[in-house]
Amino acid sequence: MVTALLLLSASPAVRLSALTAQDSFPSRPPKPTPLPPVRFPPFKETTLPNGLQLAVVEHHEQPVVSVALSFRAGAVYDPPGKEGLSELVAELLTKGSETRSADQIAATVEGVGGSLAASSDADFLTITADVLSDQVDLVFELLGDVTLHPSFPVGELELARTQALSALQVELSRPAAVAARFFAKEIYGDNPYGRSPTPESFKAVLRDDVVSFAAERLRPGGALLVVAGDVTEPQVRSLVDKAFPGWHGAPPAAPAPRPVPARTATDILLVHRPGSTQANIVLGNPTILPTDPLYYPARVATQVLGGGADSRLFLILREQKSWTYGAYANLRRYRGVGYWQASAEVRSDVTDSALTELLRQVDRVRTEAIPDSELASTKGFLVGSFPLTIETPSQVASQVANAKLLGLGDDYLRLYRERLAAVTAPQARAAAARLDLNPKAAAVSLDTAQFVPHSDSLRVLIQGNPVGGSLSTLRHTADSLVYSERSDLGPVFQQQTTVVLDPSDGSPRLLDQVTVQQGQKAETHLKYAEARVKGRIAVPQQDGTVRQFDIDTVLPPGTLDENTVPVVVPAFPLAPGKTFTVGFFSPSERVTKPLTFKVATPERVSVPAGVFQAYHIGVSGARVPLIIWVSVDTPRRVVKTEVVGQPFVVELVK
Amino acid sequence: MVHRASTGVRSLAWLGGLFCAALPCPLRAQGGRVGYEAFTLPNGLRVVYSEDHSTPIVSVDLWYNAGSRNERAGRSGFAHLFEHMMFEGSAHVKKGEFFQLIQRAGGTLNGSTAEDRTTYYETVPSNRLNLALWLEADRMRSLAVTEENFHTQRETVKEERRLRVDNQPYSAAFLNGMTWPYDSTACFPYAHTVIGSMADLDAAQLGDVQAFFDAYYTPNNATLVVVGDFKPLELRRFVNQYFAGIASHAAPPPVTCDYKLSPGVVRREVQDAHANLPAVVRIYRVPPDADRDTPALELLKIILGQGESSRLNVTVVRRAKAALGAQVFMNPVESRRGPGTLVALAVANQGVGVEGLDTLVAAQLDSIRTGGVTPEELTKAKNTFRAGYIHTRETTLGRAEALHHYDMFHGSVAEINADLERYLAVTADDIRRVATRYLDPANAVVIVVRTVGQPDGRTGGP
Repeated sequence: MVTALLLLSASPAVRLSALTAQDSFPSRPPKPTPLPPVRFPPFKETTLPNGLQLAVVEHHEQPVVSVALSFRAGAVYDPPGKEGLSELVAELLTKGSETRSADQIAATVEGVGGSLAASSDADFLTITADVLSDQVDLVFELLGDVTLHPSFPVGELELARTQALSALQVELSRPAAVAARFFAKEIYGDNPYGRSPTPESFKAVLRDDVVSFAAERLRPGGALLVVAGDVTEPQVRSLVDKAFPGWHGAPPAAPAPRPVPARTATDILLVHRPGSTQANIVLGNPTILPTDPLYYPARVATQVLGGGADSRLFLILREQKSWTYGAYANLRRYRGVGYWQASAEVRSDVTDSALTELLRQVDRVRTEAIPDSELASTKGFLVGSFPLTIETPSQVASQVANAKLLGLGDDYLRLYRERLAAVTAPQARAAAARLDLNPKAAAVSLDTAQFVPHSDSLRVLIQGNPVGGSLSTLRHTADSLVYSERSDLGPVFQQQTTVVLDPSDGSPRLLDQVTVQQGQKAETHLKYAEARVKGRIAVPQQDGTVRQFDIDTVLPPGTLDENTVPVVVPAFPLAPGKTFTVGFFSPSERVTKPLTFKVATPERVSVPAGVFQAYHIGVSGARVPLIIWVSVDTPRRVVKTEVVGQPFVVELVK
Repeated sequence: MVHRASTGVRSLAWLGGLFCAALPCPLRAQGGRVGYEAFTLPNGLRVVYSEDHSTPIVSVDLWYNAGSRNERAGRSGFAHLFEHMMFEGSAHVKKGEFFQLIQRAGGTLNGSTAEDRTTYYETVPSNRLNLALWLEADRMRSLAVTEENFHTQRETVKEERRLRVDNQPYSAAFLNGMTWPYDSTACFPYAHTVIGSMADLDAAQLGDVQAFFDAYYTPNNATLVVVGDFKPLELRRFVNQYFAGIASHAAPPPVTCDYKLSPGVVRREVQDAHANLPAVVRIYRVPPDADRDTPALELLKIILGQGESSRLNVTVVRRAKAALGAQVFMNPVESRRGPGTLVALAVANQGVGVEGLDTLVAAQLDSIRTGGVTPEELTKAKNTFRAGYIHTRETTLGRAEALHHYDMFHGSVAEINADLERYLAVTADDIRRVATRYLDPANAVVIVVRTVGQPDGRTGGP
């Protein structure tokens, strides 16, 4: 056969006919035709007098209705030692009310072809119902009954517990589930997001625990009801009034957020599963709060790394190396601090190579700018695929619920695509770097005896010529240490910085900074508290404009502010040969970076203020490498700073 | 599948059709009724389309009449391996570019291989309909195959097998078990798995790819379904421009499968090194999808093993507390033109003996043969079916698959709006009759899955 012969040449093998026929087949992909505008389907929202938020998505294409009632009652609210309580409460809600048995509830809803069930994830407990629209009254009646009058029969609790214990055994036989449990515990530690139920914790749950959890958390205040499909808003309002008569209750208590652990190095945890033919590799770390605007560049970076079949992990680990069926990365949002992860299932004998490659690719996305074509392609997918996620009423409902439950703001759905489209390559790289809350940094305990009030005058030399100066003072107030610095390099650059620090450990509390660069004024105001930094950052741009960034992000414990280097470095436990790696938040880059300080033997340094015996400290990890000289005698102070490889020097004048 | 899908999972068992006449539904969609048009190109490519302008997206779904049933002995798993090769490049599309072009356009895509067919779909914003069609046409007319790509995809498929089968509990017993009702001499098409054996995957040659392409990946052996936001004239123009120049080939050789019901019970034990709990799988031979008994079997399946109120759940799971879960499936991979399987699966609770569990499950299956079903059960089954029928047609891709289903398994797209009558007409007697015929103990393959050794560290975990 001619065709077969042609094809043996292992080149693109065109069917013979296609070569000979009058062929108008284009050799390049066709260009897009005009796209009609995509609007997010309208929905109506209200907050009822009892605090219940209600969203209605009218969608009359098919005679279906889906209902989701969500409470802040997920697994994070399980009391320690009773992990799995929320899951059991969810299971039991549809297993008996004051007037209906479990069998009656199931037979009633399934008899009309509907479903009613509840489930719990990390943050939320959600009761869902799906039904054809001619049975929507019945389903609301059942929903109201199981929400307001659950009876939590003892026999049903015992059955649910038996099922949960067996389900846990099945879960632990699945490699991905085992990896996920270890991963969560490892990255979140004692934070509630790190916990998973165990046989012991399921066994510790008493009926009283179920009853009080439901009473305390399944309240209208703070809850969200989303109804989507072939219904009208007035119809839903009246169904809700009828189904939930007299329902009231303030939002449930919200425990203070717990910090997530910081890490000093990349940890590799090996879990042995006998008889495995593959290794499941999962790597990642806790990241950001859901409202952090860093989400958008981070989403782009994560997509480039491993969002799909044209992302780096897939193309390299699968299409090039054939080590795996698939390798992916994703960014998971929680109500609290979320996480990102990269994962692959690889045949066991290439585990080490695959892990090395995964780490290398993660590093690339953190350190290299994404090439333009790859960035365009990635944003094309993220922005363009949005209409695919709002095809059915239940898809629309889940988008609405996600935005409201995570508090993403009223304009989230409207601006989602726009915000992704605006992400630049440097932003995506910076986001990837900031997502890695895993700098190889450790908190250093500072010598607070070095925090002695003083005033310093410094001069700035470029190529040996004085171009300006700086005045800095450190003073104590009743409960704080205040560092202020005023730099003046003429019309090119002027900056006034004030940082309030905790005198016991040098950690920042407040930062106020006004910068005037090339005539452009930029103000930064940040508040550091409870392992978070919040506020507004302004960064002068190359083109003479100033960009504003709202920031609200978590910081690893022990993180310092980059502006406080002249205060905190002299208070390090300095000694020749010592190395410190400490996390510093850089407001101008909006990144927490590990800076490494290498202390060498003291040497004589001559500056206008005099001749000092000073530690030579090499600093790496900052935007440029530096050498700082810190005087040996207490109170220690920075006497000279030099930018490595550049003719830029700052010296102490008095 | 060529990759892990990012948007949902294909439903395992396709749920059939329903008319709107039985319920008050809005005029616009008539509760799942699907309007469509069809035409055929001179080269034999059949095209079916259905317009829906509610969301600016379109699904292009191309089915080839080729699957694992077309494989020869010694090449099990080849149809699926071939599916992977379809993403490795063609005359105008470089390796990796297929994924890239679709994803850059904001689309999603995947392929899937079953016993009877292989499918390729793209769901894209409606202004990229031309791109999806062009990509499908380019690989139908000019697949590019290199030794290197072939090797890479063979290894990838072996990893897929490890991921889905070899490294999971119950998978091997379940997937192999579904082939055991059929004899590999009389009915090789359904006596081997879709994923294939490692040995057969290793034995596959580059030349096999070409031969398979020539035999099965021809326009006269494919059906293209397009559903969503497009203008029919434009669609016809694109289809003509991209597909009309591809030549038809001789029809592929027919597939044969000889079998008979109730040859005698078969019992097998499987030692599962990954399972922490024992399980029982009961598999029964059932007729081809187009058979007149299928509607009653589908409803029987719902009554026995779908939902909280199913017989198996109420008795075995809730009353006896013997199983973590118990479900029933019909043709878990996909419908068939040849004989299929009805599968009952139950995983034992901790401390429950697997023989006792099997006795309980068997008793429930027998109970329908002896006592029939109640009117409430029959109503529930019809309503559940009706709801499933509407839900599967909510998306453009769901409607595309439903159109394909009737085209391929019933030989008539028109059945999509007519099949329901058969389901509504099913009586309690019909269900008892099909239960007696197909749930005959002599028609069963019973698989007992046992755990291996002590559950050491595996039961711990954080």
